[in-house]
Amino acid sequence: MSNIALTRIQREFKEVIKSDEVKNCQIKLEPFEDNFTHLKGEIIGPPDTPYQGGKYTLDIVIPETYPFNPPKVKFLTKIWHPNISSQTGAICLDILKDQWAAAMTLRTVLLSLQALMSAAEPDDPQDAVVATQFKQHPEIFRSTASFWAYVYAEAPRNEKMKEYEEKLKQLQEMGFHEKNSRITALSSKNWDLQAAMEFLLP
Amino acid sequence: MEIDDDLLANSDAGTEDDDEFVELAPEQTSAMDGMDPEEFPYDVLALEQVVTLMVDIIKEVRNVVEIPATTTRILLNHFKWDKEKLIETYYESDPDRIFADAHLISPSRKVAIACSKREIKPRYSVKENGEYVCEICYASVPEQLMSGLECGHRFCISCWTHYLTTKIMDEGMGQTISCAAHNCDILVDDETVMKLLSDSHVKLKYQHLITNSFVECNRLLRWCPTPDCGHVIKGQYVSDKPVTCRCGHTFCFACGQNWHDPVKCSILRKWIKKCDDDSETSNWIAANTKECPKCRSIIEKDGGCNHMVCKKCRFDFCWVCLGPWEPHGSSWYNCNRYDEDEAKRARSAQEKSRAALQRYLFYCNRYMNHMQSLKLENKLYASVRDKMEEMQKHNMSWIEVQFLKKAVDVLCQCRQTLMHTYVFAFYLRKNNQSIIFETNQRDLEQATEQLSEYLEREITQEVLRDIKQKVQDKSRYCESRRNVLLKHVHEGYENELWEYLDNI
Ligand SMILES: [Zn+2]
Ligand SMILES: [Zn+2]
Ligand SMILES: [Zn+2]
Ligand SMILES: [Zn+2]
Ligand SMILES: [Zn+2]
Ligand SMILES: [Zn+2]
Repeated sequence: MSNIALTRIQREFKEVIKSDEVKNCQIKLEPFEDNFTHLKGEIIGPPDTPYQGGKYTLDIVIPETYPFNPPKVKFLTKIWHPNISSQTGAICLDILKDQWAAAMTLRTVLLSLQALMSAAEPDDPQDAVVATQFKQHPEIFRSTASFWAYVYAEAPRNEKMKEYEEKLKQLQEMGFHEKNSRITALSSKNWDLQAAMEFLLP
Repeated sequence: MEIDDDLLANSDAGTEDDDEFVELAPEQTSAMDGMDPEEFPYDVLALEQVVTLMVDIIKEVRNVVEIPATTTRILLNHFKWDKEKLIETYYESDPDRIFADAHLISPSRKVAIACSKREIKPRYSVKENGEYVCEICYASVPEQLMSGLECGHRFCISCWTHYLTTKIMDEGMGQTISCAAHNCDILVDDETVMKLLSDSHVKLKYQHLITNSFVECNRLLRWCPTPDCGHVIKGQYVSDKPVTCRCGHTFCFACGQNWHDPVKCSILRKWIKKCDDDSETSNWIAANTKECPKCRSIIEKDGGCNHMVCKKCRFDFCWVCLGPWEPHGSSWYNCNRYDEDEAKRARSAQEKSRAALQRYLFYCNRYMNHMQSLKLENKLYASVRDKMEEMQKHNMSWIEVQFLKKAVDVLCQCRQTLMHTYVFAFYLRKNNQSIIFETNQRDLEQATEQLSEYLEREITQEVLRDIKQKVQDKSRYCESRRNVLLKHVHEGYENELWEYLDNI
């Protein structure tokens, strides 16, 4: 790791730890191992969104040329969002690509990701299936996203989830044992049981 | 290409030479000898000279339109360096529209909107006991080591240098580098970039990036195709003439390919496209190993000479046609001509297409073969150099042994010409002139293979004095055969004697 990168990361750590957001338990940052090239971030799903109350873990890799090139960030917690891959956690966000600026910090990255969770940009999608649902069936999108938040990110439960759990159970009884694929199939097919079944068949 | 500077160390004593450019072994300037009587006037420009040319045009435009230099450069790119059109459009329509089209911010508005309306605002440098804190590296630095543009964002000079270097070297950005602050669109102008960079490598790359579209839009300028060379040839008019860069590379001014006399640019382009499309078959042809036609053991080609001797069964054969070598040395050398009559015998459609493929393979095989040999001749420069040293120990003077290097030069030129004669021949319709051409081609090819054989094999066996005469005679003969061939083709062009096959 270059000198600038190391100094920067160490300083940024202190900055994040002292920040108001950490005090309010909005964001968290810790090293994966003992070095500063691989970090673990955490953000809380912002209020008034389907992700409210969820805890999202992020994988952050600091490149050798940091801060002149952006950190490589992806979601480790599964999430249903137009700009984040529901399968790999890859993120489509301008500041992690060409709009990165050397004066930005990990704190600004974490806050920008929170902002992205509040305001998706479906015209620049990372996950085409989610983006289509977002545009065509906004209601289903919201309930699906909060269901994912409940299942994967420890967000609170709500009424709608009973119906979804019922459909998942039906699929399981048909012999589809893998939970994540059942969730993905139903989510992708707008919770249409028949379509999800066909989707899962080889 | 391998570089062989030792060989040139002696012969080059007189020339002015900057260390940056190591000359390649073959003395490329002689490639033009006897090829064309009329000189093609051109200059070789270093990158700085190209920048100067470009800056002059920018100045001319700025005399009329008062906008910053770097903005003018980007606008000129947008107008493909047609300055009249830029000025005309600038005055006849809305300048703001032009800036928007070129993805630029109008210079009059830019300071006002320098800082963004986004929620994450860049923070400004904080003073800490008289010093500034750089927002990038967090180091505390005195004011004179901070730098910034009219937007007010300031970072330490070392961070600026890092930032610009990353943009230029990693992202290949040159057209528009904006301020390092987030969401700040203020452009770093060319002068500032050059001032903040210290590594000459990065500087060169930047100059290359900013002049690239200027050169590509200008028909009288052409980049030297050698990777990382950075020189530009400036011609007085566009013509398919050979030009030699300061790095030693000779290429066609009109199309940028390696010098390809006698074939025309358009035909060569067609051929290269065909070869790319058929790359699988040609890859197979280009393979460097073949089976001995007699005992089937694998033979690797390690020199340019087509006379192969199987290490196992001692069979002498021709690498190109796999036939016995014996006839190749005599007058009825017959390895260059594809028998069209034989091909005509193919009747059914299937046979026809197979015949077409075989015809292509025939020419491609020979084309690739000379190209491959040409690459291998670089090894020959090394062995010839050893020989030259040895000869100097045997009472021959330095001057007296130069004939050997000269002979390798001739060999390379002949291979280069022969290679392209097969492209020419592939598209050529058979007529009386084409038969003369094929005879010339055959003679040159035969002589070239003999010269190659002398230089590669016999040189190690024969008595020194004898070999000098033999090599000199043969290389003179090759040169004259090459001139005869080229002259004949050129006359054919002038008198419109060549007819081309269509739809191949
Ligand atoms: Zn700095
Ligand atoms: Zn700025
Ligand atoms: Zn060059
Ligand atoms: Zn050309
Ligand atoms: Zn053999
Ligand atoms: Zn042959």
